[in-house]
Parts: sequence; structure tokens; C-alpha cells
Amino acid sequence: MSAGQALDPSLGPSPERGGEPRVDRVLEQVRAQLDLDAETEYELLAELRGHLEDAVAAARARGLDEEAALAEAAARFGVDEVGRELQAAHVGWGTADGVVAAGMPVLCALILRWLVFAPDGTAVGWREVLVRPAFWAVALAALLVPLLRFPRWRYALISWAFFWVMSVIFFALPAVRW
Amino acid sequence: MVSQIDQMRKGTTTVAILKLLVDEEEPLHGYEIIRRLDARGEGYFRFKEGLVYPRLHRMERDGLLESRWVGAPGTRRRKMYAVTERGRHQLEVEMERWQTFSRQMDQLLGLEGA
Repeated sequence: MSAGQALDPSLGPSPERGGEPRVDRVLEQVRAQLDLDAETEYELLAELRGHLEDAVAAARARGLDEEAALAEAAARFGVDEVGRELQAAHVGWGTADGVVAAGMPVLCALILRWLVFAPDGTAVGWREVLVRPAFWAVALAALLVPLLRFPRWRYALISWAFFWVMSVIFFALPAVRW
Repeated sequence: MVSQIDQMRKGTTTVAILKLLVDEEEPLHGYEIIRRLDARGEGYFRFKEGLVYPRLHRMERDGLLESRWVGAPGTRRRKMYAVTERGRHQLEVEMERWQTFSRQMDQLLGLEGA
């Protein structure tokens, strides 16, 4: 492979790239149709790479040379249609996750506000919430909903971190008026 | 123009994938799903292979499938798909619908007992 054919690392991981440089060109055509977040595109292209490498290997095992094997694999794959369909299938997923990821901590914080604060705006008596079932219900929801809802851990971690930082602050500074 | 067979295939891809994964009783990656579907259909339902992936992803989003990546970082990794309980239930519903549809069509076309 020449320097001019340097592979784009964002086209997904491939320990066997040295043998399949042209697969990258097919993936580039798919990627040209995508307008998704980087992580989603990376995963999609990694999955498609595995498919194309298998298809090329199968064609070569039937006696085709590399060029013909790739041409056959790409034709059977349906590059343009796949790019469009993947875009249609995934567009909006990240946005929906983002909305929930942003809304979840706010909802938990509002419930905490209702549970924790005295009418004067302080968190005095905060320790009492530890024996309230409602507190543990909120805590469990804050733990489990992100875990079950988000395919990506970073969203879950953001929700968890927000909830527990709020809890620690209330616990450490109960007399402060919030 | 999209052929009638293409239209029918599109409408039945979900149930075909669910049935395959239930029958095989093991998680499969996309290429293997396509290969085995092709073998089951004896090539009759051949379609653009890549179009299975958006379908798999939609099924996963709908809770019919679950997936996990297999393989250590730095090696070839595979996204393996398996049927969820919801997917199994959906398969039962779709199979029932298909049998009813098929029976009614046979009756309509006078193919009963043919």
C-alpha cells in the first residue's frame, strides 16, 4: 500500500487491513451517505467491514482474484442503498438518547428537591430521607433507567454522576440555602 | 421498479431473521445470518446483502434482538445478534399471521390440497 492510499482510521478497526485495502474504498462510499455521530458511524463501519472482508474471502476461495472478489462483494452488498437505509435507520437515535440523558438528571433533581428540602430551602434533615422508600425508588430509577435505556455507558455515567454529586453536596452542606 | 417478490421479501425479512435465530439457538453475526438465510431460501430470496444491517439495527432498537461485540480490541471483532423474549413472542405472532394469510390465499386461489 502506498502512502497515498493511507487508510482512514475512522473507517472502523481492522487488524487485517493490510490484506483488504480496497474494502476501505467501499466503506468510504457508505460513509459518504451517513451523517451520524462519530461513535455510531465507527460501529456501523466496523460491522460492515467484517461483512465485506468475509464476502471477499469467500469469493477468493472460489477462485476470483482480489479485484473481482471485491467487485462481486460490493455489488451484492448494495453500497448506495445500504448507506441510505442505515442513515434512515439511525438518524435521531443519538438525539433521543441525548434528550433523555439531559432530562433524566433534571427529573431526579426535581424529585430530590421535593424529598430533601425543608420549606426554608435548606437540606437540614437530609439524613431522614435515607429511611424513606421514595428516596430509594428515585435512587434505583437513577441507577437502572440509564443502564437499561442507553446503549452507551457515557450517558448512563453522566446521569449517575449528576445524581450522586447532588446527593453528596446535600449531605455535606445541609444548612446551605439552595 | 420494485418487483412483487421484492415487496413480499421486504415484508417478511423480520420474521425470517427471527425464525433463523430461534432455530439456530446461537447468536450469529450479520454475514452468517445472510449466508444461512440464503441457504434456507435456496437463493430464491436473494437481495442486497447490506440491507440486512439496517433491518437488524431496527429490530434491535425495537427490542426484538440484542447484540454484543465479540472479540478482543485489536482483533477482528464481530457484532453478534440473538433473539430476545420479546422477539420470540413477536415470532409466534407473525408465524400465526403468516399461516392464516397463507391458508386464505390458498383458498382464494384454489390451491388448497394442490
